[in-house]
Amino acid sequence: MPRTPSAVVGAVLVTLLVVLAVIGPPLWGEEAARIDAGAILQGGSVAHPLGTDNLGRDLLARVLVAGRYSLLLALAAALVGGVAGIVLGGLPSVLPRRAARFVTGTVNALVAFPGLLLAMFTAVVTGLGARGAVLGIGAAIAPGFARLTQTLAASVAGADYVSAARMLGVPRHRVLARHVLPNIAEPLILNLAQSLGGALLGLAGMSFLGLGVQPPSFDWGRLLFDGFGRIYVTPEVALGPAAAVALAGIGFNLLGDALAKGAARRTAPGRAASVPQPQPHPGEPEPGAALDVRELTVTFPGGVTPVRGVSLSVRPGEIVGLVGESGSGKSLTAAAVGGLVPYPGAVTYGRLLLSGRDAGALTQKELGTSLAMVFQDPMASLNPVLRVGGQLAEVARVHQGATRAQARRRAVDRLGHVRLPEPEKRARQHPHELSGGMRQRAVIAMGLMATPKLIIADESTTALDVTVQRQILRLLREVTEETGSAVLFISHDIAVVGELCDRVVVMYAGRVVEELPVDRLAGGAAHPYTRALVASLPDMDTDRSRPLASIPGRQPAPSEVGPGCAFAPRCPAATERCSASRPPLVAHGDAHRVACWEVS
Amino acid sequence: MNIEELSVRFGAFTAVDSVTLEVPPGRVVGLVGESGSGKSSLAKAVCGLVPYAGRITGAARAQMVFQDPYASLDPRMTVGASVAEGLPRLRGQARAAEVSRLLALVSLPAELAGRYPRELSGGQRQRVAVARALGAGPDLLVADEITSALDVSVQGAVLNLVRSLRDELGLPILFISHNLAVVRYVCDEVAVLHRGRLVEHGPTEDVVGAPAHSYTRDLLNAVPRLPRP
Repeated sequence: MPRTPSAVVGAVLVTLLVVLAVIGPPLWGEEAARIDAGAILQGGSVAHPLGTDNLGRDLLARVLVAGRYSLLLALAAALVGGVAGIVLGGLPSVLPRRAARFVTGTVNALVAFPGLLLAMFTAVVTGLGARGAVLGIGAAIAPGFARLTQTLAASVAGADYVSAARMLGVPRHRVLARHVLPNIAEPLILNLAQSLGGALLGLAGMSFLGLGVQPPSFDWGRLLFDGFGRIYVTPEVALGPAAAVALAGIGFNLLGDALAKGAARRTAPGRAASVPQPQPHPGEPEPGAALDVRELTVTFPGGVTPVRGVSLSVRPGEIVGLVGESGSGKSLTAAAVGGLVPYPGAVTYGRLLLSGRDAGALTQKELGTSLAMVFQDPMASLNPVLRVGGQLAEVARVHQGATRAQARRRAVDRLGHVRLPEPEKRARQHPHELSGGMRQRAVIAMGLMATPKLIIADESTTALDVTVQRQILRLLREVTEETGSAVLFISHDIAVVGELCDRVVVMYAGRVVEELPVDRLAGGAAHPYTRALVASLPDMDTDRSRPLASIPGRQPAPSEVGPGCAFAPRCPAATERCSASRPPLVAHGDAHRVACWEVS
Repeated sequence: MNIEELSVRFGAFTAVDSVTLEVPPGRVVGLVGESGSGKSSLAKAVCGLVPYAGRITGAARAQMVFQDPYASLDPRMTVGASVAEGLPRLRGQARAAEVSRLLALVSLPAELAGRYPRELSGGQRQRVAVARALGAGPDLLVADEITSALDVSVQGAVLNLVRSLRDELGLPILFISHNLAVVRYVCDEVAVLHRGRLVEHGPTEDVVGAPAHSYTRDLLNAVPRLPRP
């Protein structure tokens, strides 16, 4: 749970309330029930700080004693509402289609009904008194719960593991009990905690209206009801119970919110620890490079270092492929170059030059015109409610100060440049009217609105069909040749990289393990990892009679990387030296560098 | 398994358009096509997950393995409990023994039964999903893009598993993939779907070596290849 002031206040208030509920009745029960004919309807005094009621009973004692009853009733109401709601919301997953629709429709109608009305109606039907009030508030809470359960259950019901269970012939009620409910339990329990506060306030309201607790029982609402008639004469008799209700309600709501926030945050890495920063050795910058990175490191709190001292460079007109498995740090490397590492990641580097200028010193505008990024999902880069042309034109207007007409002409021109058929028409369309390939072209066109020195393509063709992928690869190649911009092409698919790129940089567990010209990938790779990766890739010439190679084990997580070579545990050639100390990336023939003790 | 004149419609949209296809015993039939070609709709129809028109025979106990091994296992159930879902009649010792046998079939150690999916790698999870499907004693295994979400380094192990299931159990397998290189490697026959229609079907060597349909040729030409020296 987060230690915010509101969470602390909530926890303290709720704790006080629980303590009061436990010790209140035994401590002050007698005094609360003692009738004193000589002190009827008094206001506040030293003997009776909150005054007395019409039988001369001390109101402060009664407020303190009523805490237990109020709390128990609220608990009961929340449970009634929660259970009824979960059952109602879960039923559609078990019932036949028609009955399920009926239940869903009923819940929808009930959600539209004012809660208080529902509560009063139920209370009147089931009889005045505590039971009626509890059922009433329960009925008011239930529809919201049912809706929440339904929505959550529907999302789980679409999961593959539920489909798998259905195919295995697992009956529906078992699917609900075993797969659906356990996976939605957490938000439901949180919601129950939050609705406790609402139930407490609701019950006080019912009692205050005379629909709830009846004498001789009393809760805070009843005390408020009794004291309200005297509020102009002796306000303290009504303000005491009112304050108790308000404080309890605030306490529960604050605590519920804090719990919900805590649950939402649990997945994020927590503990912060000081991370030893590597001492960067930038060396001499590479003259004329479009991108020159030395000793780039990305760290997250808790000693998690997904990118460890990566160095690479891309020359103008060159396409460099950055390959690696998921978790190798390739995408974070690209994000670091573009200044897009998400909070709380920290980026350090010995050198990060974009066309010879320090990327950290560039303004947003300069970065925006010298660098274009193309991601996997084009819909993530395009605003779905704006027309394609307008979005492209915005780039020119913001970064180049073009007029509306100029920007628009340039947008259409760029859309044509990326071979989008009928660019005039496409510019007037919304992203959803374009196919996946066309959208990716539009995103590339957006990057070309300025004259970028570097295009970073992060899995840009992964979501596309092979035939469309081929077109986009060709487009990237053409763009590079025409504009002379450099491309850093990130992909998990070594075959795609092999087809498009001039040079390949292979990453494993956050480090570059090999850097080689693309024509040496298939036959001349030196690092055991690169070789295993190439061997495990089936292509159109693979021998079908032999089993396919695969690499045993798995890549270490960024927090598990030891002092030696990260690939050593999976490497057939590993020696003791490999697990003890890390091999540096050293030259291995012409334009070829490798980090391996056994080959260098 | 035999499909005759199978059609799947979603409202006015026809996802699968009168497809006739056979998966003979002990054969792996590859189904290739681009997104929207109807591959997955066909697979779901075969497994009874979507309504369809036409006739499907010999797939009464079809089981599917899904693309994403992170979504196809319940995160709150142990590997053993997930695998045992297809074994409702077994209890206690017999059940545990059967789970171990199924895990062994997919080359996983029996100790994994007590672990949760989050402790496993993607390739291991995919093998658990296969073991779960095998537990039901399927007459057809439908593998829907089962290696698309996996890293190349572990993909090989899963593809080898598919081949060994065919060789050792004689299980007919419908292997769906957009990756022609993968399909070429594991499948005995290849069927090509284009816009819901079957445009080509034949032995793998023929379809890959001498494609008859222009669409198949387009697909083959688009397969990325490593430049070989």
